[in-house]
Amino acid sequence: MSGNPTSLTAPAGGRDSGPLSRNWRLLTAAAVAVAAGIAAPHVISSVLWISLLTQAVVDMIFATSVGLLVRQNGRISFGQAAFFGLGGYIFAVSIAREIATPELAIILAVVLPTLIAFLLGLIIARIPGVAHAMLTLAVGQAFYEVVFKWRELANGDDGMSVALPRTLFGFDSGMLQTPGSMLPIVWTILVMILVGFTLMARSPFGQLTEAIRENDERAQFIGYTTTLPRAVIYGASAFVAAVAGLLQTLYNGYISPDMFHWSLSGMALIMAIVGGPKIIWGPALGAFILFFFKDVAGDATEYWPALVGIMLIVVTLLLPEGFAGLAERTDVPLRRLRKGRAS
Amino acid sequence: MSKMRKAGRVGLGIAAATALLIGAGAAQAKDALKIGVPTDLSGTYADLGNQVIRAVEFAVWEANEAGGVDGRKVEYRSLDTEAKPDNARRQTEKLVREGYPVILGLIASGEGLAIAPMMARWDGLYISTINKSDKLTGDSCEDRVFRVNTQSAMDAMTIEPWLKQREEKKWAVVAVDIAWGRGSSEAFAATAEGAGKTMVGQFFIPSNTNDFAPYIQQVKDSGADGIWVVLAGRDAINFAQQAKQFGLIDSITVAGQSFTTDNTVKALGDVAKGIFGIINYSSTLDTAENKAFVAAWRTKYDADPTNFEGETYLGMQVLFQAVQKSGSIAPADLGKALSGGEFDTILGKLKMRAEDHQLLSPNYFGKVDEFDGALRPVITMTATPDQVTPPVSCSM
Repeated sequence: MSGNPTSLTAPAGGRDSGPLSRNWRLLTAAAVAVAAGIAAPHVISSVLWISLLTQAVVDMIFATSVGLLVRQNGRISFGQAAFFGLGGYIFAVSIAREIATPELAIILAVVLPTLIAFLLGLIIARIPGVAHAMLTLAVGQAFYEVVFKWRELANGDDGMSVALPRTLFGFDSGMLQTPGSMLPIVWTILVMILVGFTLMARSPFGQLTEAIRENDERAQFIGYTTTLPRAVIYGASAFVAAVAGLLQTLYNGYISPDMFHWSLSGMALIMAIVGGPKIIWGPALGAFILFFFKDVAGDATEYWPALVGIMLIVVTLLLPEGFAGLAERTDVPLRRLRKGRAS
Repeated sequence: MSKMRKAGRVGLGIAAATALLIGAGAAQAKDALKIGVPTDLSGTYADLGNQVIRAVEFAVWEANEAGGVDGRKVEYRSLDTEAKPDNARRQTEKLVREGYPVILGLIASGEGLAIAPMMARWDGLYISTINKSDKLTGDSCEDRVFRVNTQSAMDAMTIEPWLKQREEKKWAVVAVDIAWGRGSSEAFAATAEGAGKTMVGQFFIPSNTNDFAPYIQQVKDSGADGIWVVLAGRDAINFAQQAKQFGLIDSITVAGQSFTTDNTVKALGDVAKGIFGIINYSSTLDTAENKAFVAAWRTKYDADPTNFEGETYLGMQVLFQAVQKSGSIAPADLGKALSGGEFDTILGKLKMRAEDHQLLSPNYFGKVDEFDGALRPVITMTATPDQVTPPVSCSM
């Protein structure tokens, strides 16, 4: 955050274009993506597909949060579902128990998990390796146990239905539960998050976190504090996870402790790995692939987890950088070709 | 060469004939009745889920053999929910949106409660055949939700006369920590206290528990003379086996709800002998309708239908009659036909109460004993629908 960042901002790979045109290209791509998302419900005729896509996009947002942690912090979390669950529970419990107005509940649902993760990050970020993974698992499961055992809070294992108020921020809340209008909303949010993370990765701060990821000691040696940037990434990652949890709760009108369970954290991690966490949109791609793979496999056989397992093995063996890595690899020769033709 | 050409010509002929047949069929046939069966195929209650599927499969086969229901072909499609409410919601939405709007077969009460408020929005209809929680037809009742199986309040009313004549004074509950276990425990405690008993403990266990030892010790320490067990599927089998090993089953009176069922008794053998329990359906019931059902089932599967198979089949009977009565497969029309209707079932002619959509059915109580040379739950007491009519607590 502080210090002289110039040595870290030089774009990797030394491509022909400067950072300004890179950012323009990014925003153009984002605008095209958002337009496609808004058009999608008008093009796709099946409500089932629109609904599945909506749920898939929520998974994509969640996987992006896990990916950020891997990409910027080099850390693997088995407790990311805690923030996903908090996003949903804080909103649902606040309005069911009339603790806050629905609009305030939405704000609390994303702000509180961010804050909690930032504070936890100040401690957890110092611990590397297996201990870190175990600690995130413990933190995640602690939240799970609380909502599971505390039946008065939200019916424990059975979960709780949430009736949305008629309007939210002046808009008809029915929009949030209708696939045709919810898909553009969640998609736009996903695109905004990906753009935000890309800009952050290109910023001095993003470069700094990558430097810390690569060599914490050396970063300290050249005068950077390393815990704070890591904790900020924890907070940002939890913010996105909470957004995903909140969106799922708004869309489904329902919360259950499974939102906190470590198996969901594990699933998000698998999504990130399948997609390739080294690339910012990789985890989202992984989530998309896995969502529909699970859907198809689940239709085909009741032993669908075996198919997902086999797929994971194949991907980790053959595509160590995930599907996004594959796409990127095929893209490089293409780009070279294009460049050659242009000059 | 000529052979091939001949084969081709024959093939062409067959194709043309098929096309004609399909065309003719499409012109005549009404839309098929499509039933979605989200159920547990891989979780704690997978054994119950498999029974649900088998009963649906049988009822669909039987109906199609007889030329369909109201001239309609019957189809079904099942998906795994793992008995998790959030999965149930996802899978049910998928089934409804894929065109299987009549939903039946969810196991855990939490699953039923999770989908109930959505049925109107998705334009579906849910018929519970297994969910016990009173809430489903109580304070969480919904216009598009019906229940053909007995709720916990009805089961509690069924055991009341038995409980009154028992000498055991101190009772405890061992229940799974979900809506079903909580509701059943509450209903049992109220009934037991009404019968002059003392409740000395209510122990709630997470579903899919493997080690019951700590809970069994707690039950022993509570000094209970009798326990009411609300565990099913894999949980029921694990608990019973461990309770036997720790000497609990032999030292106190054990009774339960969905605990000693046809299938768990088969798995447990002698361990289950002498355990009391609610019996919601038994293939031994001596009515003409049931005998016909059991005979047909035997020719197809070479076995007797189990309690959950019987209850699910009953649900299918009620659904088919609603289709016949309304002449429609639209969920809204089926709902109207179900509400307040009377239906011929394997348990006799039964009424679907309009106020809360609970089918008023008879109920049974019994004990695991030898019957025709094998252990199974044997009915010792029958309660008529009038005796176990639960109070209405629903406002739709």
